[in-house]
Amino acid sequence: MTNLLSVKNLSVFYGASAQAVENVSFDVEPGKVTALLGANGAGKSSIMKAVAGLISAKGDIVYDGLSIGELPIRERVRRGIVYVPERREIVGELSVRENLVLGGYQVSTGERRRRMDTVLELFPEIANKVDGGAWRLSGGEQQMLAIGRGLMSGPRLLLLDEPSLGLAPLLIRRVFERLAAIRGEGDLAIVLVEQNLRMTMRLCDDLHFLRSGRIVGRRRAEELKDEAARQQAIDAYLGASETEVVTEHA
Amino acid sequence: MNSVPDLLLDLFPLIWSGVVTGCLYALGALGLVMIFKSSRVVNFSHGNVAGLAAFLIYGFSSGVLLSLSWGVAVLLAVVAVVAVAFLSYAIIAPIMAESDLTATITTLGIGLIAQGVTLLVFGADIVPLDLPLPRFSATTLGLRITGYDLTVLTVAVVTIVGLFLIIDYSKLGVAFRAISANPVAAEICGLNLRSVHLFAWIVSAVLGVVGALLIVPTTFLSATTVATFMLQAFAAAVLGGFASLPGALVGGILIGILMNLFTFYVSPEFTNTFLLIVILTALNIFPNGIFAKAGGNRV
Repeated sequence: MTNLLSVKNLSVFYGASAQAVENVSFDVEPGKVTALLGANGAGKSSIMKAVAGLISAKGDIVYDGLSIGELPIRERVRRGIVYVPERREIVGELSVRENLVLGGYQVSTGERRRRMDTVLELFPEIANKVDGGAWRLSGGEQQMLAIGRGLMSGPRLLLLDEPSLGLAPLLIRRVFERLAAIRGEGDLAIVLVEQNLRMTMRLCDDLHFLRSGRIVGRRRAEELKDEAARQQAIDAYLGASETEVVTEHA
Repeated sequence: MNSVPDLLLDLFPLIWSGVVTGCLYALGALGLVMIFKSSRVVNFSHGNVAGLAAFLIYGFSSGVLLSLSWGVAVLLAVVAVVAVAFLSYAIIAPIMAESDLTATITTLGIGLIAQGVTLLVFGADIVPLDLPLPRFSATTLGLRITGYDLTVLTVAVVTIVGLFLIIDYSKLGVAFRAISANPVAAEICGLNLRSVHLFAWIVSAVLGVVGALLIVPTTFLSATTVATFMLQAFAAAVLGGFASLPGALVGGILIGILMNLFTFYVSPEFTNTFLLIVILTALNIFPNGIFAKAGGNRV
């Protein structure tokens, strides 16, 4: 199958010398979920921001056959690349509904209404608070709003940056259940940055393990079905010090 | 010396005229706040550009430049001011990306250029600018209400309500509020930040023209008249918190009333001193302005 996204030799620098990502390459197929796993500082979020256009990077990012490295963020959104950041970036001053309008800003009014209905059906937790201030939502609800807002533009590639960050285990499970529901629809591809290996395993097709800005290992989800294989991957690619981090929410 | 009932008898007309003038301050303040909220730039060119617009209306309608009807002259001046807003934003946008402070200082330069152009084209003399306002007055409940008062109130109310409706209920308004509160969120949703900034700059310029036009009949038109008026608008914006549109409205009306009362009951010579004391006192009690929002973000 033709790749929806091909990241080739991507390097990200902060300032003149601080290199966050070094020659990272990976592909994402339509309809597949690809995970980038690693501890804090491994470079996962930098890769996501580079693909979304929030930071500049060296290397090539090819989306739907087009090199998008020079495209502004809004043009990437228009083409179907949507980034849901780890801090959610909900606009607390707006209502839940207005946040969703923001997510669907580039689509027509009718299409926006249709998608809003779909999103609220997918996330009933926020449906009954749709006219309230977004700042009143709990952390889990804000995460659902952030994902829902991302879906409003009808993305083909959803970049989800640590959706489980700061959430209680029950809420993480709920968020991942919804992600599983989303992935079942159409050809939406998801790139998921996570530290939570067990939850990620249930959702992903391909996993890339990062350490110090480099991909140090790759696995297909079916290769990590038993506990021993999972533990082996953690030990081999993430190191003993990261074990606690990647399994703590399990 | 006036008795207490006499002083109180003067109070209501003073408050009324303070509200009328305050509406104009509010229009100016709203323009400043629109730009500050969206772009994080304090636009010090606001008064001088609005002053240039007032002179252009004079020039287009008096025969100095052209001999057009008043309505066409206003329309042309608005077009000119919108063009100036475009140009100002084109100059400031790249600077904004580097430093809000430098961008703010750049607006001082733009203001000086606007004032320089005004002086160059129209000279330093005071000129008359009579607006075709309804000339009547009526007395109700001890208040003398003039055609000018009603015109100002009508224009201010229509303009402010229209602006608030756009900001609160339109898609563009959602974008404006999102960019004001969280530009990163707006950007990742695919909004064109520059278009929304430009919307704010244009609306601000038009508000400035409306405010300038309506204040001129109470005074005279010189190269510094409108800039001086905008100082009161600036005070109103500060009082309202500088990032609050309702704050700018209430701040404008408060400044209008307080200055009127001070001028009448105390001294017209020290109104600016009084204004500064009011601002300093208000900011000491309400550091983020009288309309500072409670609330916050849950995690």
